[in-house]
Amino acid sequence: MSTDNFFKKIIKRLKAGKQTAQPRAAIPHPDEMMGKLLRMVENTDEVEIGCDDVFELLDQYIELEARGEDVSRLLPLVKRHLDKCRDCHEEYEALARVFEATTLSNG
Amino acid sequence: MLNHTNEQWINDLQAEGVERESALADLRQIILTGLPYALNKWIPTNDPRFASLAEEVAQDTLLRVLDRLGTFEGRSQFTTWVHKIAVRIALTELRRKRWENVSLDELVEGEETPPMEALMMDHQASTPEELVEGADLMQRLQRIIAEELTDKQRQAMMAIAIKDMPLEEVARRMGTNRNALYKLMHDTRLRLKRRLAQEGLTPEDVLAVFENR
Repeated sequence: MSTDNFFKKIIKRLKAGKQTAQPRAAIPHPDEMMGKLLRMVENTDEVEIGCDDVFELLDQYIELEARGEDVSRLLPLVKRHLDKCRDCHEEYEALARVFEATTLSNG
Repeated sequence: MLNHTNEQWINDLQAEGVERESALADLRQIILTGLPYALNKWIPTNDPRFASLAEEVAQDTLLRVLDRLGTFEGRSQFTTWVHKIAVRIALTELRRKRWENVSLDELVEGEETPPMEALMMDHQASTPEELVEGADLMQRLQRIIAEELTDKQRQAMMAIAIKDMPLEEVARRMGTNRNALYKLMHDTRLRLKRRLAQEGLTPEDVLAVFENR
């Protein structure tokens, strides 16, 4: 995709979002769309770990958190990754639900 | 089975015959017990597709657990480690199904392109100063992206940030994997952040202009 097209898409979304009739329900509000892009940039750290490293530590992270440990201090890079990566965050949430429902209820 | 220690699980799964079969049956049940909680935001358990998905996920999880048994380092309960693998397999499959009819090209290229003036015409309620500021900023952002990012980076950013496509699905379509794509996106974000800083802009400044119009 050319740069020109990339921005034309964004402009189109800016335009579409100002209209009352939305042809497609999935179109995000333009401010929200532009906000997403810039917030991603704003939240960027110099050092970030990847999804594979997070997956390796996710079970440990969930258990530490369930015990009330400060995971943002113990595993800060995992915490920061989960704040940014939707895929990993979805898996974190799913695993946390399982852990809470099964492990904790079993004492 | 609930009181198994990590060592017992590993020993039983590495054993031959009945012990192993019994451990696998227990583990399968543990996976099937966890999946409704893992997936309740994705698919209702009374959905006719849930049972077959759960069976498929349990089977694939057991195979992967056996394959990776040597990599378990005991930093969590063994069952948490197993549930983690089940969650990854299940969500990978659900994402694949949810996005299976969407091509990356259609997603990022499939719409007609409007003229640049559309942006100006669209903001008739704004003051002239705001219009100029917004248009100028858009041009600066255009230039920054053109100079800093590759086509691949632009395409990935569009799909992930604007279209909310899962990294995993974008990666599959780009012939890469999720971890590599995350690193590509990190590099992309860093480049933009550094360039904005060089230009004397902070993401907050830019956000303020777009969000206040």
